[in-house]
Amino acid sequence: MSESTTAPGAVTSQDEPGSTLAADALEGEPEAGAPEGNPESAAIVDDSESSDSEGDAAAATGEALLIQEGEVAGDYLEQLLDILDYDGDIDLDVEGGRAIVAIVGADDLDPLVGSRGATLDALQELTRLTVAQQTGVRTRLMLDVGGYRAGRRTELSELAATSAARVIDSGETVRMNPMNAFERKIVHDVVTATDGVRSESEGEDPARRVVILPDR
Amino acid sequence: MLEEALEHLVRGIVDHPDDVQVDLVTNRRGRTLEVRVNPEDLGKVIGRAGRTAKALRQVMTSVGGRGLRVDVVDTDGR
Repeated sequence: MSESTTAPGAVTSQDEPGSTLAADALEGEPEAGAPEGNPESAAIVDDSESSDSEGDAAAATGEALLIQEGEVAGDYLEQLLDILDYDGDIDLDVEGGRAIVAIVGADDLDPLVGSRGATLDALQELTRLTVAQQTGVRTRLMLDVGGYRAGRRTELSELAATSAARVIDSGETVRMNPMNAFERKIVHDVVTATDGVRSESEGEDPARRVVILPDR
Repeated sequence: MLEEALEHLVRGIVDHPDDVQVDLVTNRRGRTLEVRVNPEDLGKVIGRAGRTAKALRQVMTSVGGRGLRVDVVDTDGR
């Protein structure tokens, strides 16, 4: 505490480490957990580093949060696998600004996928809630089990491409089967990347579906 | 095993994990997992429009077999 006298401008925030931590977190400082919140060192860093290093710090915090999200999710799911006596390893990744958690490496994971991925979606929901409970922030974490989503992505991308080609050839609208939000997104992305067609969603979940229309 | 699995799933999402209790009750109507949580956590376990309770049911019937029920017991006694 004695060193704070050397940084007159920083003395006011010395009173409570907790508030310093919170302020650091809001500013996106990755090292917010430094012991004895030391405002003077933060002030020195701010003065000496250029503004683009602040951008890096913010990005690092985002990345650090996503890694933390993956770890919390991984622990939660690993313990579930233990209790259920299921084999399977947990793969953690960060991709496209979200944490990806995958349960892989076992052939008896079907119960965790369920019919049309319903159990996978439910487990993803519970995992997101658990992560949010720990980190205090909502998460867009994606869960995959046994490569189900990866396989579905390939399948749906091909189906979307074929359907888009049909719309271009015939000039007629195509209505896809009902899909969940994750699956509709895959179709929308393919259509968006294809000239001559556009897409909309219609109906209400669980019957919400993508419609592919000619775009002229 | 099923009680333990559900207890684990619920403990993750509540503010008072140590207050989570799950019992497997078997009677003529079949097997029911009864979930009890701290009254403050009731809303979290049920979720908006019952969405979280539905997710818990979905996972438990998937791993425990059809006919397995999940009841969230309102311990507030209302």
